Amino acid sequence: MTTITRQDLNFGQVVADILCEFLEVAIHLILYVREVYPSGIFQKRKKYNVPVQMSCHPELNQYIQDTLHCVKPLIEKNDAEKVVVVITDKEHRPVERFVFEISQPPLLSISSDTLLSHVEQLLRAFLLKISVCDAVLINNPPGCSFTVLVHTRDAATRNMEKVQVIKDFPWIVADEQEVHMQEPRLIPLKTMTSDIVKMQLYVEERAQKS
Amino acid sequence: MDELYLDNIDEYVHDHNKIVTYKWLSVTLGVHVNTAKQMLYHYLDHKRKESSAPLHATYLVSGRFEDNGQTSHRVSLVREDQVEDVKSKMSLIASVHVYSVQKALLKDSSTLYSVDYDAVKDNLKNCSRYSAIRCASAVPMSSVEMQRPPSPEPESKKSSMNGEAQKPSTKSQKGIMGMFANKPTSKTQDSSKEIKLGPKDDTPEADATKSKPAGKANPMSNFFGTQLSKKPDKTIKVEEAAQSPTAEQKPQTSSQPEEKQEAAVETQKDTKKDSRSKTKRIQDSDSEEEKMEKKKRRRIKKPEPDSSDEDVIPDSPQQVETSLKKTAKTVSYSQQVHSEIKTRKRRRVLKHHTFQDEEGCIVTEKVYESESYSETEDDAQPTKQAPKDVGAAKLPASQKDDEKKSQKKASANANKGSKQASIMGFFQKK
Repeated sequence: MTTITRQDLNFGQVVADILCEFLEVAIHLILYVREVYPSGIFQKRKKYNVPVQMSCHPELNQYIQDTLHCVKPLIEKNDAEKVVVVITDKEHRPVERFVFEISQPPLLSISSDTLLSHVEQLLRAFLLKISVCDAVLINNPPGCSFTVLVHTRDAATRNMEKVQVIKDFPWIVADEQEVHMQEPRLIPLKTMTSDIVKMQLYVEERAQKS
Repeated sequence: MDELYLDNIDEYVHDHNKIVTYKWLSVTLGVHVNTAKQMLYHYLDHKRKESSAPLHATYLVSGRFEDNGQTSHRVSLVREDQVEDVKSKMSLIASVHVYSVQKALLKDSSTLYSVDYDAVKDNLKNCSRYSAIRCASAVPMSSVEMQRPPSPEPESKKSSMNGEAQKPSTKSQKGIMGMFANKPTSKTQDSSKEIKLGPKDDTPEADATKSKPAGKANPMSNFFGTQLSKKPDKTIKVEEAAQSPTAEQKPQTSSQPEEKQEAAVETQKDTKKDSRSKTKRIQDSDSEEEKMEKKKRRRIKKPEPDSSDEDVIPDSPQQVETSLKKTAKTVSYSQQVHSEIKTRKRRRVLKHHTFQDEEGCIVTEKVYESESYSETEDDAQPTKQAPKDVGAAKLPASQKDDEKKSQKKASANANKGSKQASIMGFFQKK
């Protein structure tokens, strides 16, 4: 049994990789399930040994990848508190917010070989929950789009603004309107606890959608 | 006591918002699968009478299907509203039963696979404990047997060359655990799964051609593969022999699965269609155990080249003919090649063809092309014919898809707000 601290960046990178891969799959799945984009652009792909839907549109894929590429350094240093996928309606007011709360224990310990397969199992359960979230959410009005917000601890974003991780892909401070929703309904979806990460997914939904 | 299960199912469906499949229910409650199916049916009936929150169900319909004179046994997973439709298309219905009950309307069936994944994985050693498909002499191979190389096959196996027959034997060779191994312990497994589900993969290995599963976008058949792998030893050996990698067999196998791969690609493109019917060539005859032996033998001898998805039925007949012609060609060709070149391999490469169709839309088509590669490049000639045939047969089908897609893109364009780049941008960019 090895105990690794956060300073061991290699392991931190591994965790960040796992989480970013998962977030990418989750975002694609959310876009599919909530019908943000027509289902024709999605095709079945495999992740964690189960079929998932992923989009074929190159610009959309690039956008999501760039977004997560910028988020990754924050996760490595455990600065990202929440990653939020906000679905907004035509007037750019948020309709739904899928909140991934992430926290990593300061001392990571790898206890056994089955750690990664255990994590995979938990992530599979997350994907399954996203697939059936239709049942607990009201349908969205047509013409929605999405955006990704990251809530960070302390002042980590100051560093981000100094160093542009990807050229021409700037991050800006989100405005109040996007961050807060009026009269949200909170629907918890899934929680997971493992040796390397703790994650919680819930949905904030606006009571009146259109 | 008898009514307790109704409450259990109610709790799973409403409180936990789970998808309750009969398989998961049988494992969770420890009952026979047929009992689980009946439980689901009663629950559905009960709840519908009470008319409480809306419930959705998926059904499994299996029966005989006739298509242009070719009969096949088809097993389809359909949503409730399509059951009658699918039933009317079959000539003889073998079984209809509830597959799952859930609160949400499922957009696609891949979630049904994820539901049972963990339950089956935990019970891998005795996953047929509650099942109705049973065979006493089907035991997992010991590690000694698994290391023994497969014996060369007899000529009669030519007729059994079809993607379906090879899949169970791959799985039985690597053992049941191999299928669920998270690490890529068996490249064949991974590549065969990737071919089935992920057309993104560029270069399936040569040995993937010999273990190609039925080329349907069909995660469910992965499932039924575990049950199938428990077959009598005799059938295992016969199909095991069918796997041996001789140069003669490879072109044959790659030509027939070729047509199935096209079917797979087309099905994947056709995600717009709401029908979730899937076809399996495995006979899911839960209630016909006594006929199982007979049916198995019949399947090995009789080639069943079709049984593609409902979505692609109009195309498969013509592709069957082209594939049969190709088989004849490649057999004669390979016999002469075999003497000259020892290491000639064929592999299927996923190629992206980007072209502009009549409406000015740029279409990217993913086509599996059979590519022959070896140290000596002189056998490039005959293989070029194969892709051309494939390309021609595919184009009419893909036009259909393109039209649908371009219609959808047109409507999507109207909806998109100004905040993000319009989705039409992709298709109009030169």
